[in-house]
Amino acid sequence: MKEKILASLKRLNIEEYTLNITTYKSAQMFFIKKSLDTKRAENTVTYNVNVFRKFEKDGKEMKGNSSVYIYNGMTDDEIDTALNRAYLAASFVCNPTYELMECTENKFTTMESDLFNYTIEECCEKTAEALFAADNRSDVFINSAEVFAYDTNVEIITSTGIDSGYNKRTITGEFVAQCKEPQDVETYKDFKYYTLDTEALKSKVSKTLEYTLDRAKAKEAPKAGKYRVILSDNYVSDIFEYYNGRSQASYIYAKYSTFEIGQNVQALNADGEYTEIKGDKISMTLIPTEPLSEEGIWQKERVLLDNGELKTYQGGLRFSRYLGIEPTGYYGCTKVNAGSMSVEDMKKKPYLWVVNFSDFQMDDFTGHFGGEIRLAFLYDGEKVTPVTGGSINGSILDTQTNIILSKEIQREANFTGPYAICFEDVPVAGV
Amino acid sequence: MKVKESEYLKLKKPILKKLLAKLLEKYEYASILANDSKSTNYRVSKTGTNISEDGTLSERGFCAKVYDKGRAAEYSFNSIEDDTVDTVFNEITERLNTLGQTLPEGVTAYGFNGIEDEELYINESTEYEVDPETKGDNNIIDLLTRISEKGRAYDERIVNCNVAFSYQKYSKMFLSRNKDLTQNVMWSCGFIVVMAKEGEEIQNSYKPVSMLGGIEVLDTLESKLEDACKIAIELLAAEPMVPGEYDCICEPDVTGMIVHEAFGHGVEMDMFVKDRAQARGFIGKQVASELITMHDGACTIPQVATYFFDDEGIPAHDTIIIDKGILKTGICDAQSAMHLGIAGTGNGRRQDMTRKAYTRMTNTIFEAGTSKVEDMIASIKDGFLLCQASSGMEDPKNWGIQLMVDIAREIKDGKLTGKIYSPIVMTGYVPDLLKSISMISDKIEAGGTGYCGKGYKEWVKVSDGGPYIKARIRLG
Repeated sequence: MKEKILASLKRLNIEEYTLNITTYKSAQMFFIKKSLDTKRAENTVTYNVNVFRKFEKDGKEMKGNSSVYIYNGMTDDEIDTALNRAYLAASFVCNPTYELMECTENKFTTMESDLFNYTIEECCEKTAEALFAADNRSDVFINSAEVFAYDTNVEIITSTGIDSGYNKRTITGEFVAQCKEPQDVETYKDFKYYTLDTEALKSKVSKTLEYTLDRAKAKEAPKAGKYRVILSDNYVSDIFEYYNGRSQASYIYAKYSTFEIGQNVQALNADGEYTEIKGDKISMTLIPTEPLSEEGIWQKERVLLDNGELKTYQGGLRFSRYLGIEPTGYYGCTKVNAGSMSVEDMKKKPYLWVVNFSDFQMDDFTGHFGGEIRLAFLYDGEKVTPVTGGSINGSILDTQTNIILSKEIQREANFTGPYAICFEDVPVAGV
Repeated sequence: MKVKESEYLKLKKPILKKLLAKLLEKYEYASILANDSKSTNYRVSKTGTNISEDGTLSERGFCAKVYDKGRAAEYSFNSIEDDTVDTVFNEITERLNTLGQTLPEGVTAYGFNGIEDEELYINESTEYEVDPETKGDNNIIDLLTRISEKGRAYDERIVNCNVAFSYQKYSKMFLSRNKDLTQNVMWSCGFIVVMAKEGEEIQNSYKPVSMLGGIEVLDTLESKLEDACKIAIELLAAEPMVPGEYDCICEPDVTGMIVHEAFGHGVEMDMFVKDRAQARGFIGKQVASELITMHDGACTIPQVATYFFDDEGIPAHDTIIIDKGILKTGICDAQSAMHLGIAGTGNGRRQDMTRKAYTRMTNTIFEAGTSKVEDMIASIKDGFLLCQASSGMEDPKNWGIQLMVDIAREIKDGKLTGKIYSPIVMTGYVPDLLKSISMISDKIEAGGTGYCGKGYKEWVKVSDGGPYIKARIRLG
């Protein structure tokens, strides 16, 4: 198909294009309690062509684009028709012109992973084995689980001479832990790994089972008011999505974000004024999870924030070109510095430590974060009580100068950074 | 006009039948679902214009399902020719045989008596007025550009006005020993998102349109622009809500979110199988006010989740879930139906051919009542009109509510004061909210511009809605 598509592009005189070929091989297992309910396997390939067209409008140079999928088994005529339609559509897309990614080097890489030591079916089975390893208690157990093992092969070909690609393996999945006494409750967790990190998964399952036991004991919602709130685990990485979002070239270009390189963005309040950072200063590094972006950008580690100061914008080709900055591609992982205080010290003053939300939202437009509390531990200065219900509604703009990051680190596929984060005076809707 | 059958699927049908025959020789049950789907997104905003085929909804692919000694297994593929039937067959049997040979300690494989395969023939199509393909990409972009530019010129605080249109036209074919089903469906939707900025804070308002049909859906979009602009600017002056329990009127989109997120997910019966839904113990019991009757089904109303058969070959239903406040039944996919020993309700849906089918909602609504909206507002002494549902999360296990609404308009002594609060989190216990419903308006509105996930993935198109409802709701 690749040759047929390239021949069609030549035949139609389409001078600028990108062609992404992605082959997926997967093995999937679906469990209900201790039974395998369904198993699945996959072998598919997709061909996505993005065609570009230069034209002039009102005396300005434009470059429109339109993308289309080509399918296995299409005839030459069908491919010509699909690409021709996309090429015509591109002439209606009035975007200011920009240059496609230039070719710097061509190579095919295999991402380092011990998952390549096994077949995709074995990767799936070994992950399932790790998942159920800690499921050996009678009071709390895995209710259901899904495990996916993917082998993804990506090839990117562009009209600028790029012909590169990579092969990667990924493990993803989710599980629900259930505890029936003294009340019937559950906890949802998902996971993603680029290596066969069975110990990390076992630890995640064990911790989730423990939290679920605690949740079964929680009955009351916290009283409405302002709390010193601690968030941990995956909710910490969600908070930093604010800085990821606001540093996107697309946000800067659209003026959704006023972040400027060299500016201490952590020190800004809701009115855009500087205030003193009394808490931990944030340093963030962007880590690529794929070597090559779909636009052909070779991705590398980049410092995003240094002690709260913005060091780079990030984003795809079009908006980066418009802003006159180096295109970075989109990043799948963020690394954040550890903080000044241990979790143990964080818990010395009264707190509301939320370990599970029904759904946590970090709105990078408004800076608001929050969600309904599934399980939290409330320390009133005397005793710790598990609580459930109510919701938190915080604002990063109101709290970022006073945040405290934990000394302890967590490592996930999309985040390496403090295990916990502490905010002062967060409004909580409770009873 | 009726949506045409896919020429591609017609071409592949004899090849897939050959593969099916080979699978039926080896397995006690086999079926093949084939999909030829095209979906295009059009977007115009200050930052640019985009026309792109939707990678999630566009596909040509196949899913073979087999039961081997009662055990369910599936294989997804997207390439087969007349001369590769044997190759595909061998890959299916080898890979499905290999996977699951080693199971975790203490884990076994389920076995079923076999899926029911009653004789059935369907060849149906939905209708439309204007096909987006014949309308032309240039005309679509011109219309969206006009609306976007008008929105951006409305007020200097408006930093962007995103206007979008998308459609999906698909043909699906389901083949088994006794079933030969074909359906051809087209839905369309569009929306306006206006973004207003003051200081570091950005607020947005959202106005959607959707229908089962073609580009005629855009006929009403432009008329919603002024309202969208006004709301985005209003939101810049919104105050945070004082948490508490209030008498509230919910607009139909907020009613729809309650129907779908708060209650609908809880009656997906794959959750009954897993013992994850409180609703299972409430069948036959009162869970809502007597004013409430709730439906879900691919043939309940003509909307974006309308179809004739589901992704497991079960015909579409209109299921009455709550009848005058009493919970009657849930909705079900075929595999969960086998677990529970009941019949499927035509709710087995896949995100695409590479995904498993789960129990999923379709078009989910509350029936209309008899009250007038103005009487409902006049009945409130101190409360809010809740508008612009933004997001929600299900909690089938505990029936906890977590719904986000963008706007609460203050009502004092039966009148809207003009004061607004934002953002709003609705919390509480689902049956408490549903039982507190005391008035229902006489007309329903339903729509579906978004997608529904199962947990945090498996996106499918759904619609939801209902009338204005009056209820007692905890807000934060």
